[in-house]
Amino acid sequence: MKRVYLPLLLIVIVVLEGTAMDFLPKEWLTSSFYFIPHWVLVVLVYVAIFYDYDSTYYCVLYGIIFGLLVDIVYTDMLGVYMFTYGLVLYSIHGLKRILHSNWLVTTLLTVVAVVCADVIVYVLYSIIRETDITWYTYVYKMLLPTLVANVVFALLLLPLLPRKLNDWAESHLEKSTSV
Amino acid sequence: MPSFFRNKRLITILVSLILLVALIGFSMRDRDQLTLPEEFVLDVVGGLQTVFHTPINFVTNTIDNIQDLRHTYEENALLRERINEFKGLKEEVQLLEQENKELKSILDKEESIDEYDLIQASVIARSPEPRWFEQLTINKGSNQGIKPNMAVITGQGLIGKVETTSATTSKVKLLSGFDRSNVIHAMIVGEGKNASNQFGLIEAPDEEQNEYLLLKRIPYEAEIKKDQKVVSSGMGGVFPKGLPIGTVKDVIVDEYGLTQTAYIKPAADLYDINHVAVVDREIHSPVLNEEEATDEEKKEEDAE
Repeated sequence: MKRVYLPLLLIVIVVLEGTAMDFLPKEWLTSSFYFIPHWVLVVLVYVAIFYDYDSTYYCVLYGIIFGLLVDIVYTDMLGVYMFTYGLVLYSIHGLKRILHSNWLVTTLLTVVAVVCADVIVYVLYSIIRETDITWYTYVYKMLLPTLVANVVFALLLLPLLPRKLNDWAESHLEKSTSV
Repeated sequence: MPSFFRNKRLITILVSLILLVALIGFSMRDRDQLTLPEEFVLDVVGGLQTVFHTPINFVTNTIDNIQDLRHTYEENALLRERINEFKGLKEEVQLLEQENKELKSILDKEESIDEYDLIQASVIARSPEPRWFEQLTINKGSNQGIKPNMAVITGQGLIGKVETTSATTSKVKLLSGFDRSNVIHAMIVGEGKNASNQFGLIEAPDEEQNEYLLLKRIPYEAEIKKDQKVVSSGMGGVFPKGLPIGTVKDVIVDEYGLTQTAYIKPAADLYDINHVAVVDREIHSPVLNEEEATDEEKKEEDAE
């Protein structure tokens, strides 16, 4: 039973991303700063650190599935988020083996993941559609606010999610390896 | 063995790149209809979005209401004044409407491009990717008679058009997200004596000042003043005539010096949207009804 908790949590996060704009004050929305919620990615970074063993790649699998879901539900362009989340989570999975998992490393990896994902998504979209936005504007008006918003979200999850994920991983992965 | 694993990784990356390009290529074609799996996903997620949006909306609305309470007294005084003005205006409008109906009946002209039906809907999600997709999801779809390209309005004015539909949800492209492939034929309403209406096309908003829309290709000779009203012209074949779009903020001559471009402040608030209405115009629309016709033809062919 516990193995379905994680996919269910991720679906709820995808749905909540669509309401993220309601949480922000209206004055922020009309300003030229952009806060893009990469909440699925943030949760999957936690999955990579606290759920996956070195030999399992659930974070990458979920990254591909829920990236595609984000593509279908919130954009018209299939594949962009799917590719980005898959690639970034694969790298995070690799990085996590080198670093010891504590809250500082978790935050650091979240920052790395969000920055990489946002830059890749931005580059892919700017190839697909022409735009005049300079890199300077991009970094100050889109990347930095997005990074801050997502790190705040990651810190909110920190007290509860790692313990839960460990719990779920034990009942799920150990059973499957013993069989 | 290690070289084999390295190769495997290389192959995976290459395959995923090919898959990415294929998927993007697939979704960049001008698609009128979504594929069946996409519709299914949209319907399922749409149901969940409705479930989650209702309590969240309640909470955010309550917070807004508490903030509004502080300005109630001043607003009340102002609104009382306005009501008195409207009373006179309403009688005038009723008289004009009556006269208009009589005149139309004399002319035997029953249909006109400014008549339409409304389909009420609620917003259940907003795309979290506002840089590229200014997009809303609403809780009505093709089951309720919504078709791609229909206009979407709030009480204040036009906010966008329906982009794609699934059975129970639709995606709405907001005015601020329009690009070269989505333009609206709009009309600047003339004011005062012997004033004439001017026409132009609403295109993508300015990159720098993205709170304004750009109304392009206005004739060079046209005299346009600040605060003139802009409405849809109904000539594009999909939207009815007279949906309010905004007011003129500024006019400049375009880069080639042949036409003028106006900056338009949208009449509707494009950020705080909860309830919308989808506009189905009554008169034959070449875009909307043509599709229907071809669908029926297809069905007939299938039956044969």
